[in-house]
Amino acid sequence: MDISMDRRRLLGAAVLGGTGAFVGATALGSLAPEAAFASGTSEVAPGAPDPDFAEGRVTGIEGTLLIVAGSDGTRWRIRVTNGSSVWKLRPTTFGAVRVGDGLYARGVRLPDGSLAADAVWVNIVNLHVHVASIARNAVHFDHRGKRIVGWVVPGTSAAVYNDTPPIADLSLMKVGSHVQVLGAWIPDTNEIEIATVYAAA
Amino acid sequence: MSWWVASLQPAVIGAVLVWAAGVKLLSRHAPAAAARSALPRLVGSGRALPVYRGVAVVELVLGAALLLPPALRVEAVAAVAVTAGFLAYLGYARLTVPEASCGCMSARRAPVGVRSFARAAALLLASTAAVVDPAAWLEALAAQPVNAIAVIAAELAMVAALSPECDAYWLLPLRRLRVRLTHPLAGASDEVPLAATVQQLHRSGVYRQIARLLSSDVREHWDEGEWRIVCYAARFRGEDVTAVFAVPRLRDAPGAVRAALVDESTNKTMQAGWLAPRPAHAT
Repeated sequence: MDISMDRRRLLGAAVLGGTGAFVGATALGSLAPEAAFASGTSEVAPGAPDPDFAEGRVTGIEGTLLIVAGSDGTRWRIRVTNGSSVWKLRPTTFGAVRVGDGLYARGVRLPDGSLAADAVWVNIVNLHVHVASIARNAVHFDHRGKRIVGWVVPGTSAAVYNDTPPIADLSLMKVGSHVQVLGAWIPDTNEIEIATVYAAA
Repeated sequence: MSWWVASLQPAVIGAVLVWAAGVKLLSRHAPAAAARSALPRLVGSGRALPVYRGVAVVELVLGAALLLPPALRVEAVAAVAVTAGFLAYLGYARLTVPEASCGCMSARRAPVGVRSFARAAALLLASTAAVVDPAAWLEALAAQPVNAIAVIAAELAMVAALSPECDAYWLLPLRRLRVRLTHPLAGASDEVPLAATVQQLHRSGVYRQIARLLSSDVREHWDEGEWRIVCYAARFRGEDVTAVFAVPRLRDAPGAVRAALVDESTNKTMQAGWLAPRPAHAT
């Protein structure tokens, strides 16, 4: 915890110009584009699967390695590193990933065939639905005739009305209206936790 | 009493059949409704619309026969055959094309569910009752007009309640009213969601300058006074660094966003916000 707090103090001071113990403003050199983008990007032939992208269900966790069964039968080994971002309803850590979760991951293929993840999105869903009814802390969605329960998570769930900036107030949603919802699926249920709802108000 | 209720059934079945036929024949969405139903699977996509309209003609003829005198047992028998056919079709649709819409009584999208089966079963039951006692419903109506209208209205209301296609006319308004009265989602905190911070960050000039360096999504974030600090992983000159952004938390000022790249292994830092010239359009 102390290490984390010290680290945050350092990073906060670095960006806000406080008295943190960073070496110097120009220590990393120029930010000119030709210098910044020196590392090449991998090229994927049109129509070919992207070797740096994985999706599937987590079947096992070995240390910081996720064993993932892809929907096309691919067996992925995904390494989560200190530099990986992990999203599960909100930015979180590797410890939040569970066997049975679904995920999408993007990263860099290593020589041993595993994928060193830059970013992992766990259980993320993106649905176009209709609001069937609204209950306390839950919104019932109709998704092509199937019912989906969307749980409102206080402090996390947000709503975007008419493309204005996201706010925490979801109460402007209307029963019967069409919305797009980003959320985290609760595995093996018809329930999601709502991250962001895009609606007209 | 039971014979009297049974004698009213031709009116209910006839009204429902004429309504269903009207939708299938007159709705300009009928071709789409036919395409969404299980008919393309059953008879082929080219024949779905003619069959859909053919069913409507059968419904219209039978419905009119049931509504108009004389009351014949053969009409009730035909109604049993048609409603049993509906039930069988729903079973077929449910088994073979679960995502198909019923297409029964409205062009609205309404997949086959428990209510569709209950409605078809209720109509089959009513038709069977009419076979048992095919008395003229107009005579039963004349004998006890108030009671007869109440029974017919109640049965039609039940059919509407069992019709997902009708939800928009009564169920959704009721739910809207409940939401207006109870405000189930009221009382949200006034905390600024992370999504709002990230959106403001995306609109900032410094983010545009270094977005291509970022390799990860948001890794962590925390609040420091009026700022929200948002961290990403980034690659800069082949080194793994942390991109740290400070975004105004309580005001919309993307021009005030600051950024720094920090090599956490050496604590070397560069503040991108004041090292690189800000493009003129980034305000």
